[in-house]
Amino acid sequence: MKVSTRFLEIIGAWMLAIIWVLPLLYALWTAFHPGEFATRFSLTAPLTLENFRNAWAAAPFARYFLNTTILVTLILVAQFIVCTPAAFAFARMEFAGRNVVFAIMLMQLMIMPDVLLVGNYRSMAKLGLVDTILAIALPYLGSAFGIFLLRQTFLTVPQQLDDAARLEGCTLLGRLWRVYVPLARPTYIAYGLVSVSYHWNNFLWPLVITNSVNTRPLTVGLSIFASTDQGIDWSIITAATLMTSAPLLVAFLLFQRQFVQSFMRAGIR
Amino acid sequence: MRQIATTRRTLLGSAAATLAAPAVVSAQGVTEIEFYFPVAVGGPITKIIDGYCADFMKENADIKVKPVYAGSYVDTLTKAVTATKAGQGPQMSLVLAVDAYSLVDDEMIVPFDTIATSDADKAWLKAFYPAFLANGTIDGHVWGIPFQRSTIVAYWNKEIFKEIGLDPEKGPSTWEETGEWTAKAIKREGDRVTRWGIEIPGDGFTYWLYQGMVAQAGGELAGDNGRKTFFNSDAAVEGLQFWVDLMNKYKSHPTGISAWGTGPRDFLEGKTAMIWHTTGNLTNIKNNAKFPFGVAMLPAHKRRGSPTGGGNFHLFKGANAAQRAACLRLLRWLTSPEKAADWSMATGYVAPRPDAWETPAMKAYVAGFPQAAVARDQLPFAVAELSTHDNQRVAQALTDELQAVLTGTKQPKAALDAAQEKATRLLRPFQKA
Repeated sequence: MKVSTRFLEIIGAWMLAIIWVLPLLYALWTAFHPGEFATRFSLTAPLTLENFRNAWAAAPFARYFLNTTILVTLILVAQFIVCTPAAFAFARMEFAGRNVVFAIMLMQLMIMPDVLLVGNYRSMAKLGLVDTILAIALPYLGSAFGIFLLRQTFLTVPQQLDDAARLEGCTLLGRLWRVYVPLARPTYIAYGLVSVSYHWNNFLWPLVITNSVNTRPLTVGLSIFASTDQGIDWSIITAATLMTSAPLLVAFLLFQRQFVQSFMRAGIR
Repeated sequence: MRQIATTRRTLLGSAAATLAAPAVVSAQGVTEIEFYFPVAVGGPITKIIDGYCADFMKENADIKVKPVYAGSYVDTLTKAVTATKAGQGPQMSLVLAVDAYSLVDDEMIVPFDTIATSDADKAWLKAFYPAFLANGTIDGHVWGIPFQRSTIVAYWNKEIFKEIGLDPEKGPSTWEETGEWTAKAIKREGDRVTRWGIEIPGDGFTYWLYQGMVAQAGGELAGDNGRKTFFNSDAAVEGLQFWVDLMNKYKSHPTGISAWGTGPRDFLEGKTAMIWHTTGNLTNIKNNAKFPFGVAMLPAHKRRGSPTGGGNFHLFKGANAAQRAACLRLLRWLTSPEKAADWSMATGYVAPRPDAWETPAMKAYVAGFPQAAVARDQLPFAVAELSTHDNQRVAQALTDELQAVLTGTKQPKAALDAAQEKATRLLRPFQKA
């Protein structure tokens, strides 16, 4: 009985993995072969890097990479700085109306960012920030999800550790920095992955708020290949997709190991 | 009525520009205008538009033009509407001609005939093909100036036609010919079809291609100034039956939904003998086809017919008087016969006025590439693209039902009845009391 359940689990995992990886495999195949092999499979098909060259030349991708990198770094750093004290206050400080404020903040999770398009645009226009990278980032700097996630983690930190640090003469900020933040490292990494991949892929808001090459992120640049009026060239699309998602994929694979290790270390301590 | 004056941009009397400008103009300063254009940054079309803007500014030193490339049509509309609501909108934007009703209903745009008041301006407004002006003409006003316009044509592969014993120089001219000829082109490997006779895209612009069939059956889809639809008329049902017949009777069209985006590629790779597609693809197919191909008007049934498509320039409310005048000058320049012809040759879009086709450059082009003139010759039979109030939702209602028929889950009549019912409900608020 037990063996058969395990067998089923393995089969299920493999099937999910294959379904997940299929589009990626297709992209790999198509990107490295000439256009006429896009929908044909032949082992002898010639390999080529031409698609990558064409894709790279079709738009100022170097600039877009820089913009996206600045954007996600800016957002991530600001989110950590904003969310950490907020989460700490919600987790460990007693103040009047704490639960009400927390509930209000959680309500932000229910609101789709797209609904706020016009409102956000109006704010950016008033601030004179239209067509800047800061304008893309600003609406996302305070993250309810981040605060919630960190608060839940901070709650699991044993009160004794906090007390011990206090006995040693640690200040409030010192305790936050030396006790809570190190123990919440896996959460930071997990949240960082979610945040970076979300903003790496975000499309609608950056499109609406930016007007020029100097501020547009990768996703908006990628949309050049989606001009369906002219028909779709799968080879170039897949090459461009691989090119733009590669940093994210590599980061994911790298941090996945880090992720597990952090969990273990946090557990041992 | 909301009016926003964007004075911040308009009165930038830049010293450099004034130095270069003639003395008369320098007294007034430079008018800056910005327009959104539905293509992504860096594509081949952006280079053409950038070139036009540079040339225009060279000839008109008192106007500074900034094109902003905004992706797809839908993205461009979203961007223009959002920015306009926030008071920072563009002065002009090219969006789908069929979105005019929605823009008018939301009080976003101003009609061109209110600013084009001189005799020359009025003559200019009359110079376009009526079929292209139709979508932008609402309540007697002209709200949209045709620029990036297209229509549907049938492309056929001459090599395949020769191989199956047809006259390679002649495309099918009736529904029956379309069905019978394309059925001959089918090639199989076992049970699998390796070459289809015809592909008509069923996603993205489903209603648009379908509208061609309805027109050929002698019907129309909407009327009464965008307040009524006729989705379940006899002609509408007959048109849809033709599409279904291609799949089930002639079996020359793949069952299910053929993709808009891959149609041209299938055609170029010889996986289908014919496609129906936009003229906007003409240049792409011309540059990439490794075989001789022909372009035909869509076949006739009771009559010939094809909807127009593509985008019009719309003038947004945010523009002040000076900017409106500047926009008008830019548009008159962009749609002059010479520029319209140049644009058409560079992209494959249909030059929107008859005299553009009379320019020497265009005549030479058509002589060497007669396929380019097919769209023009089809224009007398063209109908305005389906456009109603609340257009996106009405078109979506029709598209959903059409796709249900294409995938075989519904019969044409039942589906169109459902679409008509939904559209009637959506249009109820716009009926005159």
